[in-house]
Amino acid sequence: MEVITVKDLTKDYGNGRGIFDISFSVNKGETFGFVGTNGSGKTTTIRHIMGFLKPQKGEVFVLGKDAWKDSCEIKNFVGYVPGEIAFPDLQYGTTFLKAQAELLKIKDMSYANYLIERLQLDPSANLKRMSKGMKQKTAIVAALMADKDILILDEPTTGLDPLMRETFLELILEEKKKGKTILMSSQVFDELEITCDRVALIYNGRIVDIADVNELKNLPYKNYKIEFKTRDDYLKFKTLKFEIVRDQEKYNQVTIKIFDKEMNRLFNILRNYDLKFISEVKHNLEKHFKEILQEANKKGG
Amino acid sequence: MYFSKALFKQSVKANWIKWVAVTASTCIMLAIVIIVLGNLGINDIRDSLKQVFVQADQESSVKEDVVDSYDLYLATLLNYNQNVQFSSYISIITTKYDGKVQQFEQDNEREPNGEEKSQIILEVANEMKPFSSIVGMTEDEMVMLVSSVLNVYIEDTSVKGTDLFDKYFLTQIYQQSYLEVYNREIENGATEEEASITATTKADKSQEIAVDAISQYKQDKETAGTSFQFNIENYYSVATNYVNTFMYENVYQTQIASGEDEEVAKQYAVSVKVISNTALSTYQLWLGEGKTQEEARAEATKSISDQIPEKVAVALSELGNMDIYGLIIGSIFYKIAGLLLPMVFVIMTANGLIAGQVDSGSMAYVLSTPTKRRTVTATQMTYLLVALLAMFSLLTVVSVIAVWIVGGDAFAINFSEILLLNLGAFLSMFAIAGYCFMCSAIFNRSKYSMSIGGGLTIFSLVCTILGLFGSEVVPSAMRISQMNFFNYLSVITLFDTTSILNGSINYLWKFGVLFAIGVVTFIIGVFRFDKKDLPL
Repeated sequence: MEVITVKDLTKDYGNGRGIFDISFSVNKGETFGFVGTNGSGKTTTIRHIMGFLKPQKGEVFVLGKDAWKDSCEIKNFVGYVPGEIAFPDLQYGTTFLKAQAELLKIKDMSYANYLIERLQLDPSANLKRMSKGMKQKTAIVAALMADKDILILDEPTTGLDPLMRETFLELILEEKKKGKTILMSSQVFDELEITCDRVALIYNGRIVDIADVNELKNLPYKNYKIEFKTRDDYLKFKTLKFEIVRDQEKYNQVTIKIFDKEMNRLFNILRNYDLKFISEVKHNLEKHFKEILQEANKKGG
Repeated sequence: MYFSKALFKQSVKANWIKWVAVTASTCIMLAIVIIVLGNLGINDIRDSLKQVFVQADQESSVKEDVVDSYDLYLATLLNYNQNVQFSSYISIITTKYDGKVQQFEQDNEREPNGEEKSQIILEVANEMKPFSSIVGMTEDEMVMLVSSVLNVYIEDTSVKGTDLFDKYFLTQIYQQSYLEVYNREIENGATEEEASITATTKADKSQEIAVDAISQYKQDKETAGTSFQFNIENYYSVATNYVNTFMYENVYQTQIASGEDEEVAKQYAVSVKVISNTALSTYQLWLGEGKTQEEARAEATKSISDQIPEKVAVALSELGNMDIYGLIIGSIFYKIAGLLLPMVFVIMTANGLIAGQVDSGSMAYVLSTPTKRRTVTATQMTYLLVALLAMFSLLTVVSVIAVWIVGGDAFAINFSEILLLNLGAFLSMFAIAGYCFMCSAIFNRSKYSMSIGGGLTIFSLVCTILGLFGSEVVPSAMRISQMNFFNYLSVITLFDTTSILNGSINYLWKFGVLFAIGVVTFIIGVFRFDKKDLPL
């Protein structure tokens, strides 16, 4: 079941800025990631889903409802962490959270208190004097405390220290386990790789690729980088029929792509060679997207 | 219902300090303006100026009275002297008349009726014709004179001889004076009753003067005996002295009668005597210089206000009529000073309620909850209006108490006027709040909302300040009428304090316009916010 559906969404701000023909969908229980550089269009897309912006072209549905027209109804099911941290003109974190709870019509604050404890937040601090990380934690509590089915998080980890980031990612995984549908944007590949089922790369306002993280983790082949001690060995190895992804003649290095079933053959062959080292070149999300972007640029250029 | 209690509470919490500061300082300002100025009696200067002009008017009328009396005195002497020869014929005429009446009674065995009496009078008059040349009259004049004298005689036949002549003479003066004054009063728009009262008073006075003039004449004639030679020039100083004394006595008696202290009455009477003397010397001097009687009279009756240039006189008399309280409380406090702080509150708050929250991004927290955009705008609008209403309710209470302290309805500005001033100030702020709110709902950036909403508001205030120098409430000596142009650029001009304090109803339709501006701008703001993109 599709919880969030974005079809041909376009918002042209002129001068090539904006988003163009964005299409994707998020299924129930799925965690969907958004990655891209600053100004690539992640936030603009999220604002459309939240019903803050009216599409120029295309449609956005949340739970089958039009995100612009039925924006208010949709909010019954959505928790949101905005990209910019700015709180209403209130004095303390507690005042803000209480006001927010009232708007969300929450009476039972036990889950909110659990979140506060998990994130080690001191909500009694003055809102204006809070550090960036404190503010971000407050915003996360405000978004999660209503225990809504859909979470839309716009760069939720900015300002968090590495330890807190870990805790936050654990929290997200907990939510995911509860069966929540999560849409999350970030500039950090790692955290998306940990939490997301699928990740979309946005570049210059367009979705360049949507990668399946699980697929990426369980590829049937691996890349190995091998350096030989002698040039003879290096040249001899190259005559063998392995798929060479990268060739660095200067250092007597090759990177080969090899399917798991050929592993034994490779090691049998290498027994007769004098090696300096052999290491696996991990194929992660970052690498995956870099390759795709390079290809796209080659085509474009 | 488009209202969120939680959001309303949030707005109260965010703005209450501002509200308290603005309300308190405005209330204190207003109380000071009313109470302190009320006790200083700033209208004293105005009143004394006004007094000058009232006195000037009085002076002028006293002088006219003086010249009138002087003229009358001399005219009486002249006329009396001319006709005095005739008085020796009076006994002949009355004897003739009596004889004829007696004859009639014998013939008809009854008294003659009115018509028959007129017939007899005419007969006597005709019989007197031959004497006309002796007294220096035409025959017709003689007939008229005899008839007139006999008409007076038949009212009371016991008065004979010279007394009858005097009675006739005085009756003439009385009637002449009465008619003159009566007609003038009617011309000036007085009712018949009023005119008759004024004319009677004046005629009585004229008669009194004439009696005195005649007795003076007789006394002189008796003293001089057969050598009596009448010369009017000898009587100029006599007339002057007489009039001066007459005015003195007259004023003294009136003052005593109205319960004044003897000393005060004397002082007042002396000052009138001085005025009288001045007027008469001026009159005589100008007559001596060969001016006509009218010209000389105009010079003699001039008052202070006639002697200063016309423009200055107008300016001074306006200054005397200016309502300083109306100016300071109405035009300066309620339209300028008292609106400044509420304006600052409205500009800041209206911006902070919507545009500020959109600009900073904090609006995202409200709109990520199941709260409609219209609920947000309607709630914020309600907050702004409740805050303003509370502020002006307090201001109203303070102003009413302050007015009560300085004298209630006896104060230059009464209760109903002060209530209307407060209502007007609230409606002005309502219109301004609507406009600022609309800008706040239209723009996503605080700087645009502030500069367009707040800018125009402050512009309006500045125009009101500049326009004040061209408005009617400022006396013409200080007024630059071209500055009135600024009033057309300011929405506050629709708050017509002058009309409220004048008691005219012009302010009513202007209140309506202010209300309409507020309603329309608020509605535009609410609807615009529903449809626009929000960068949250």
